[in-house]
Amino acid sequence: MHLLEVENLTKRFGGLAAVNDVSFSVDKGEIVGLIGPNGAGKTTLFHLITGFLKPDSGTVKFLGENITGLEPHKIVNRGIARTFQVVRPFRHLPVIANVMVPLSSPRGSKKIEWLKTTERKALDMLEEVGLTEMMLEPAENVAHGDLKRLEMARAIATEPELLLLDEPFGGLNPIETEYLVKSIQRLHLDGHNMIIVEHKLHALMKLVQRVIVLHYGQKIAEGSPKEIANDKKVIEVYMGKGV
Amino acid sequence: MRTKMVTTLLRRAYLSFATHILDVPPRLLAFLSFFLLLTFPISIGRSGLTFVVMLTNANILAMFAASWDLLVGRTGQISMGHALFYGVGAYATALLFVYYGLPIWITIPLSLLVGTLIALLVGFPCLRVKGAYLALVTLAFPIILVGLLSYFKDITGGERGVYGLPRFFPFLGFYEQRVANYYLTLLLLLISAIVLYKVANSKTGIVFVSILDDELASKASGINITKYKLLAFAISGFFATLAGSLNAHLLSVANKASLEVTLSFMPIIITILGGIGTVYGPIAGAYILTILDRYVLKTVVDIPTEWHIIIYILFIIVLIIRWPRGIARFVTEKLEDLQEERELEERGKHIWKREKKKKK
Repeated sequence: MHLLEVENLTKRFGGLAAVNDVSFSVDKGEIVGLIGPNGAGKTTLFHLITGFLKPDSGTVKFLGENITGLEPHKIVNRGIARTFQVVRPFRHLPVIANVMVPLSSPRGSKKIEWLKTTERKALDMLEEVGLTEMMLEPAENVAHGDLKRLEMARAIATEPELLLLDEPFGGLNPIETEYLVKSIQRLHLDGHNMIIVEHKLHALMKLVQRVIVLHYGQKIAEGSPKEIANDKKVIEVYMGKGV
Repeated sequence: MRTKMVTTLLRRAYLSFATHILDVPPRLLAFLSFFLLLTFPISIGRSGLTFVVMLTNANILAMFAASWDLLVGRTGQISMGHALFYGVGAYATALLFVYYGLPIWITIPLSLLVGTLIALLVGFPCLRVKGAYLALVTLAFPIILVGLLSYFKDITGGERGVYGLPRFFPFLGFYEQRVANYYLTLLLLLISAIVLYKVANSKTGIVFVSILDDELASKASGINITKYKLLAFAISGFFATLAGSLNAHLLSVANKASLEVTLSFMPIIITILGGIGTVYGPIAGAYILTILDRYVLKTVVDIPTEWHIIIYILFIIVLIIRWPRGIARFVTEKLEDLQEERELEERGKHIWKREKKKKK
């Protein structure tokens, strides 16, 4: 049984197919990269998998169960967590409280009984991403690079089986990027399975074992990073014809 | 042996008091304010009866505004029809008394039950709408109730309302009753404030703020938004209903004035005054507004009633420009800043002393 099975997923907006008959699967232990030019449908695909959008046709199966079209919070509580391309912190809450929110969800609070224990667990999460220094700072005062890490802390706080990262390296400088690469590698070793959408290919190719390429809503290639880098169709899509 | 136990207990109580309240300026301020409110009727004496009655109204208003702030300031569900719960509280306790002859200590808990159920009922249509549309939907609720009351005017007393409601302390004298009412409402306000404060600082409170900040991100954190929004409505409705029920017995009447639009607008003015999104903000704002309305504008400066609204509007404009997060919030933050400065100075002195010793 695959961890995640996406079959013939399609989503149309008006006449335009944002995601067009996409199928793929992810198994336990994998980190998969999802790349493609802007507008290829990567984030829409994430929305479809996590219940923020309902597909026009096709199915999403997680751990053998059909989760197509379920409400987002239900999908999270079954074990799929995601980050957002543009960070969405809870501005009025301090950093540590930001992580306490997902820990308050049914799945996140399974091992927690008291408020104090929630705080301690939130602190652990912040330690994993290196944000303990600003735990009491209101999220609206925190810098963008740190907010990206907060997003990740919130996502892993729900103890997911599958983690969907949407452009986690967006807006990070080289030092922050290196740090995040190491964090993601550590998370993988801890047993998290991931699908990562990313434009910074040099960072992505270091992390993933398999790459899926989307273009105009369709899957045009799938394979190891090396295969993809040499795939004619992919090069055409990124560089244009006549190279 | 026993005296030693007592002294240790007292010592521990004092230490707890010192660390949790004395050392935290905002809390100290809250404590002093409460102490002032507590001793007020005694210090002002019999001649200050009008003030006691005035502050009794402020207690009720503070409870009402605090309930509103939980729903609007903390969970982000704009409610422009909060008078609904106030009216439900008033009429429920009134009708239960008139038709079933039940005593106060039964009618009020029952009306709380009714109010909370209505809050859940009313919360459902509110789930799907946001912003201006939510404001309009909630605005309609008290109007609908007024319509129902008019339609069933044989039961509800129509324009005159339901009168002759039992008072809380009918066995006391004129002056003593009013003082007793003051303390009763103050006690219930204190309990409400403590409950609302505990809710605000619990996991539930944090989730409420997450819904206010970013519903989508909250959903993505596994939170069942529907459940928490309805919970916010229920808690808010509970305390708003309590305010309405208490007031009905203070006035001895339940009528349509408890469902007026102006009543729905009061919490807005009050929380802007005091500070949105806090528990102390609406409470402080309620007292400020009541003193301003009933005392300053009538006694200190004699201004005709028609001008009151203009003064309020000007007042609010100045407030929003100067203290956009509320006066009480402003004071609290200033106190916290001063405390930080003091602590930094202390640390600086300590380091300086240490360095001096080293040089020697």
